[in-house]
Amino acid sequence: MGCMNSKSVRKFPAREDSLDLAAETAFTVNEVEALFVLFRSISNSIVNDGLLSKEEFQLAIFKNKKKDNIFANRIFDLFDVKKLGVVDFEDFVRSLNVFHPNASLKDKIAFSFRLYDLHNTGFIERPEVKEMLIALLFESDMKLADDVIETILDKTFVEADLKQDGKIDTEEWETFVKRNPSVLKIMTLPYLRDITISFPSFIFNSTNVERVDETSTRL
Amino acid sequence: MKKVRRKIGKYEVGRTIGEGTFAKVKFARNSETGESVAIKVMAKTTILQHRMVEQIKREISIMKIVRHPNIVRLHEVLASQTKIYIILEFVMGGELYDKIVQLGKLSENESRHYFQQLIDAVDHCHRKGVYHRDLKPENLLLDAYGNLKVSDFGLSALTKQGADLLHTTCGTPNYVAPEVLSNRGYDGAAADVWSCGVILYVLMAGYLPFEEADLPTLYRRINAAEFVCPFWFSADTKSFIQKILDPNPKTRVKIEEIRKDPWFKKNYFPVKLGEDEQVNLDDVRAVFDDIEDQYVSERSEITEGGPLIMNAFEMIALSQGLNLSPLFDRHQDYVKRQTRFVSRKPAKVIISSIEAVAESMGLKVHSRNYKVRLEGVSANRVGQFAVVLEVFEVAPSLFMVDVRKATGDTFDYHKFYKNFCGKLGNIIWRPAGTMPNSNLRKQMTL
Repeated sequence: MGCMNSKSVRKFPAREDSLDLAAETAFTVNEVEALFVLFRSISNSIVNDGLLSKEEFQLAIFKNKKKDNIFANRIFDLFDVKKLGVVDFEDFVRSLNVFHPNASLKDKIAFSFRLYDLHNTGFIERPEVKEMLIALLFESDMKLADDVIETILDKTFVEADLKQDGKIDTEEWETFVKRNPSVLKIMTLPYLRDITISFPSFIFNSTNVERVDETSTRL
Repeated sequence: MKKVRRKIGKYEVGRTIGEGTFAKVKFARNSETGESVAIKVMAKTTILQHRMVEQIKREISIMKIVRHPNIVRLHEVLASQTKIYIILEFVMGGELYDKIVQLGKLSENESRHYFQQLIDAVDHCHRKGVYHRDLKPENLLLDAYGNLKVSDFGLSALTKQGADLLHTTCGTPNYVAPEVLSNRGYDGAAADVWSCGVILYVLMAGYLPFEEADLPTLYRRINAAEFVCPFWFSADTKSFIQKILDPNPKTRVKIEEIRKDPWFKKNYFPVKLGEDEQVNLDDVRAVFDDIEDQYVSERSEITEGGPLIMNAFEMIALSQGLNLSPLFDRHQDYVKRQTRFVSRKPAKVIISSIEAVAESMGLKVHSRNYKVRLEGVSANRVGQFAVVLEVFEVAPSLFMVDVRKATGDTFDYHKFYKNFCGKLGNIIWRPAGTMPNSNLRKQMTL
């Protein structure tokens, strides 16, 4: 934790860290630095430790730390690559990359598959989908009879479960998603294309202006 | 409400997703590959009446050859005894118009990005001798990844006559170049450039550069290019738009000059085009040369299109827990911005009930394809607010109505929602044992 603590007091990540993250993601160096400003504000909202906890993540999405949500939890678990219960900045950026408009369709499909594989069975199974559907209905204050829910699931699995074995594998998921692209709408955040504009509290200073020039030169 | 499956050749036809003056657009699926497509259906008599056969044949042939990532792709053309079917790529993300309406206006960078894609698409077609002639935000679609797709390229010849312009632009030619309005012969390329300029203005301003209640004044202002740039346009942007909205087509900036402009070149990445494929045009020739044995089979009667059918994953994707946008919106307090209810009434009854209640509340109503947009003045009279309602079928005879705030104050929205749903009570379905008022009260809990 000493290592983490020393990192958190830094105003910006070290330049080589930003360069590395920019190289392996769709973000530019400048955007990585903008993301750091964002990350710092949300990750220190409850505990000032430079790490993002599940509570802080929920608070950032719902502006209410008491709000619990099966889907936000699931996204957090996928961001928590090291399974430490908290997310550091590097994993935050790498995970957020899949939501960039320029991220590949293949990566978006793979992430969405893991997202919906709630119990990490390696398949999207009918009980998992039912659990998620009921959670959505609860969140929306809509109540549907169990037989209606089963009808919706039947219809969906007829289309998605091509092998008709009661679960969806990665191959079936890819086929299903390509036929129903609106299922992937949540996998793209247009904000990320323009993050230095969308995140207005990030203000350029002379150092950053120089970096912009370097970035332009590199391009 | 049993729906009859309808097929045109290998395409299973679904709901109507668009309706224009001369054509209806239907969603369909290629039953051989599973691919989603849009089918533009035109009556042969319409084409014959306007003596457009050769021109449309030429332009469709070219569009079949054109391959560009920012242009909706034309797959093939089919014909029956009475109709021509143009099979197009299906674009999932909706219209750019809806995005402008939703966001008010776009940032300079975002606007530039769409404009760059638009110019790439328009330039690509102009080089092949095809002009759009009806460019407007409603013809600009967004795919699932937010990329622009220009629709109806090469298919707007039907609207060439002056009288038809009024119909296609809903009564006012806000996007049309001055030389087109004056009904003298005009250069398609220059006219398209003008329309691109109007679109760029709309993206960045959130409103039209030329908009008047009476047509003569509107025509005069367009002919004089009499417009004002809002204060938030940078000097470079202003100068750039003025070069495009030059009323003289001879001195108006051309696409190659646009490409060289520093404003345009910022963050510009030229699109990579694939090799031109060998494309079979036999289907186009068959359709337009009227060879009878090439007619496509049509099966079963046309039935009314219904609302979009949602699968379980599309419903799950509505959850706010899957929407990460609030991470980037640090200034807005969370309030439930999405609300929805379930109904067992027929979809058309739901729509007509929504319209009737909205009108009784003095709201402006825009309805299209099971989507309704309501506009009104906020309670404190300071601003406007707008709400979008959309009907989805989730199970046989069971519909979900998604209600969301498009613009305006969130507090106004929730007062509206409570009031509106109170009036809609007769179509909102609640399981036995649920008290109507307690349900609404529960929904309002923050």
